[in-house]
Amino acid sequence: MKVGYRWLQEFVDIPETPQQLADRFTNVGLAVDALEIAGSDAIFELEVATNRPDCLSHLGVAREIAAIYGSELRTPKFQLREAEHRAADVFSISISDPDLCARYCGRYIAGVKIGPSPDWLKARLELLGVRPINNVADVTNYVMLGLGQPLHAFDADTLAGQQIIVRRADLDEKMTTLDEVERQLDPSMLVIADAKRAVAVAGVMGGAETEISSATKNVLLESANFDPLSIRKTSRALGLTTEASYRFERGADVEMARFACDRAAVLIEEVAGGTIFRDVIDVYPRRRTPVTATLRRQKIQGFLGVPVEDAIVEGIFQRLGFNITKHSHDGWTVEVPSHRVDISREEDLLDEIARHHGFDRFPSTLPKWSGFGSHLPFESDERFLRSRLAAAGYSETIPMAFSDESTERKVRPQIAPVKLINPMAENEAVLRTSLIPSMLRTIQWNTYHGIRDLQLYELGKAYWDGGETRSLIIAATGSLRPKSVHEAEREFGFYDIKGDVEDLLRSFNVAMQSAVNSVPAYYHPGRSVRLGDLVVFGELHPDYARDYKMRHRIYIAEFDIQLLFESRIRGSIEAVPRFPSIRRDLSLLLSKGIKYAEVEQAVRSVAIPELAGVEPFDRLESGSFPESKYALAISLTYQSEDRTLTDDEVDVFDRRILESLTERLGAELRQ
Amino acid sequence: MSSSDGIGRLRAIERQFDRDRISVADLKSLEDIRTRYLSRKAGLLTLELQNLGKLPKDQRADFGRVANEVKLKIEASLDTLQATIAEREKQTALGREALDVTLPGNRRRVGHRHPLTIIRNEIEDIFVSMGYTVEDGPEVESTYYNFDALNFPAGHPARDPRDTFYVSEHMILRTHTSPVQVRTMEKIQPPVRIICPGRVFRRDAFDPTHSPMFHQVECLVVDEGITFADLKGTLERFHKRFFGEKTKTRLRPSFFPFVEPGAEVDVSCVFCDGSGCRVCKGTGWIEVMGAGMVHPNLYQFVNYDADKYTGFAFGGGIDRYTALKYNINDLQLFFQNDIRFLGQFA
Repeated sequence: MKVGYRWLQEFVDIPETPQQLADRFTNVGLAVDALEIAGSDAIFELEVATNRPDCLSHLGVAREIAAIYGSELRTPKFQLREAEHRAADVFSISISDPDLCARYCGRYIAGVKIGPSPDWLKARLELLGVRPINNVADVTNYVMLGLGQPLHAFDADTLAGQQIIVRRADLDEKMTTLDEVERQLDPSMLVIADAKRAVAVAGVMGGAETEISSATKNVLLESANFDPLSIRKTSRALGLTTEASYRFERGADVEMARFACDRAAVLIEEVAGGTIFRDVIDVYPRRRTPVTATLRRQKIQGFLGVPVEDAIVEGIFQRLGFNITKHSHDGWTVEVPSHRVDISREEDLLDEIARHHGFDRFPSTLPKWSGFGSHLPFESDERFLRSRLAAAGYSETIPMAFSDESTERKVRPQIAPVKLINPMAENEAVLRTSLIPSMLRTIQWNTYHGIRDLQLYELGKAYWDGGETRSLIIAATGSLRPKSVHEAEREFGFYDIKGDVEDLLRSFNVAMQSAVNSVPAYYHPGRSVRLGDLVVFGELHPDYARDYKMRHRIYIAEFDIQLLFESRIRGSIEAVPRFPSIRRDLSLLLSKGIKYAEVEQAVRSVAIPELAGVEPFDRLESGSFPESKYALAISLTYQSEDRTLTDDEVDVFDRRILESLTERLGAELRQ
Repeated sequence: MSSSDGIGRLRAIERQFDRDRISVADLKSLEDIRTRYLSRKAGLLTLELQNLGKLPKDQRADFGRVANEVKLKIEASLDTLQATIAEREKQTALGREALDVTLPGNRRRVGHRHPLTIIRNEIEDIFVSMGYTVEDGPEVESTYYNFDALNFPAGHPARDPRDTFYVSEHMILRTHTSPVQVRTMEKIQPPVRIICPGRVFRRDAFDPTHSPMFHQVECLVVDEGITFADLKGTLERFHKRFFGEKTKTRLRPSFFPFVEPGAEVDVSCVFCDGSGCRVCKGTGWIEVMGAGMVHPNLYQFVNYDADKYTGFAFGGGIDRYTALKYNINDLQLFFQNDIRFLGQFA
């Protein structure tokens, strides 16, 4: 909304410069988007809040200025000269749908001469960026910008039956608006019609067939008040926003309609000649009910923090146009002016006092409080998790939650995604059902930008039709350590992701779940593991990686973090052993196909309490042994809590373990 | 043979030693010279001492004293030489071990927290320290919690499908974290003192200052005797903690359906300390939040006694706070997850 400094001065005295006024505007809630100095004048571009349609005019803004400086507001004064003929004798106006039209004022002006506006009028409009059209149309715009009332002028001779009917559009009714676009109307929309057809979309735009032209002689001037919600819906449905619809959908002052109608008629007579017929045809089926509101004095301090002097409170009310109808020690009752459609209750009045007294006049305090604060239930677990992941080399990602259904179904075929009715794009039509595709897109992005060595994680939400849950995904690809002057390159591999998974579970002290082979199809079948419901991890299936044009192996692990956090055991810490441990190495020959888990199982099945650890440390696929075998070296650590173990004891343990290995797995000791 | 002859020879040995000593360069030649002079069997000094018995008794004392003097001197000299040579050889050995210390160090890969997480944690910690409880809620939300119960009238522009993602007629992607406030008030009676950080969605095309998905943190306090002054004080305290003690906070009147009075919250520009720069467009202020006193209509939805309780609420973008903290001018960087960007955060 643009307002001119000099135009404002017609309504109110302004004791300060435009720049100073701009700061005042900011302080009372009229945000100044721009201030443009134009010669001796200045243009303010104001951002008027949606609840303040009264400020969508020079008069309205001037009223705020009056309250800011304590000046008097001057409403325009004019002399109305009416002809003998009564407008009602030549024209009739009726409202069929008063729920959508509270008031309709019309004036009939005969014998105008259409032409360009005088220079002062053109200049006024042009200064605010409004293109002059002709003298009559320019007056309607001028009065709207001045008083806030949208107006429309019809060429009265084009209106069939010399009548105006305000009604809902018929089914399938069509009309060509001023912008030469044929509009499809429907009964949810209000139109202005003559005896035959719709001639304007009420409160939005007039019709092309009835507009003022150079041939126009007689004018029917409309100054009406329409239902805000109806105007908004119509404007949206037609994709048509105008200065008029902008004001009506926020709420115009119903009591301004008649005054603005008179004002415009007088101006038309002044710039286009003609005769104003007697009387406004004023159809006003839904009279405004007066609104009063009460402000309790104690509420000012209770709500705003400090008391405000009576004189200040009353001054603000008066200058904003609130009549004080009752004043007592307890407070004030005021009559809300018709232009303030936003005000009905005490808090609204407190807002006015706070705004005009000045937000900066109130002190800064902290709420009194005797409680305590707390984080979300698993916040400390989550922060711990993040610190472990960072230490392990993983960086956090936050991708967009949008995806497309086919991509998501590939990963979670059984899950019905949350579908958006109005997505931004086809491939963003659902919310993701897992963290997998977005992680792969992140890897893809980085790869395309030349970064292949990645360790990433995301702690984020996946969604399905009916719920949403947070989970963790970690992913790695490329080199764990790139080649450097000091070291050879080391590719990230399956055992690296496995180690990271194990480290995480260990750091949360979660009992290790047993491995199951049922992993989702997007995993490499021979290089993936599921550990209960807690975690699935392994190498991404190469077919799947190819969907993302990734040639490198990608490793991922998916965690149920809720389960991880809930399973966390904050166990007691064991004392450091007082006696030395003994390590023994066994070098075994085993048939190919025997898994390490079986070896460890065979070792542990011996149930030696002193066996503190089993660890494989070497593996040879071929050597000086049959091709059907492989060599595995394991170390056994023995530890007693109450004594130093002797070699003889440990020899016995070794022998028993070897026997178990031989018996169960046919293992031989490698010579 | 007289003692003076003997002493003369001792002095000759001493002089010869002084000459030989100069050529000692390493431990090996040091050992050679030691053997040559002090060897128990054939050392030059040892041999000379064997003549002691041949001297007349009255001369033995003089000879012995000189011999001992020479011996001590040679031994001391050899010890000094030995220490010097050992030190030199150690230095040489260390020198051979010298590395090119100007080569870069071996770097272990360390991961990075996302900047939005860093800032979210920071904001949460400030509020928790001030006595607030962190709450969260669903991102796929009903229009009741997102709009109706927050005093958005039917037909309010924010409800328009051009601005809000719809899942069904009554389900949307939440456009702010305010539904969490309503959900919390439904659960508990005042005093309420919460913050709700979280992800929100609006139908804005991606550009440097807009994203269809972003993050907010909102604050709600409802209790007896909560005032507009408390709102001001809380905002000031938070911004001083977050941006630094010299940060100023300003409230400008504005309008939001769920608060009254409503305000836009500005902080003194963190880049120019309020003197005016490109970021604050010369105004010295940066808009960071919306705020206000809780609109009494909200209390009806959650059965709070509007006569007894007052409250305040405010909310801002975590993404925006992060951008301001790190001087990032493109929100898209947050969601591209380019490791060259992420790797700059601790």
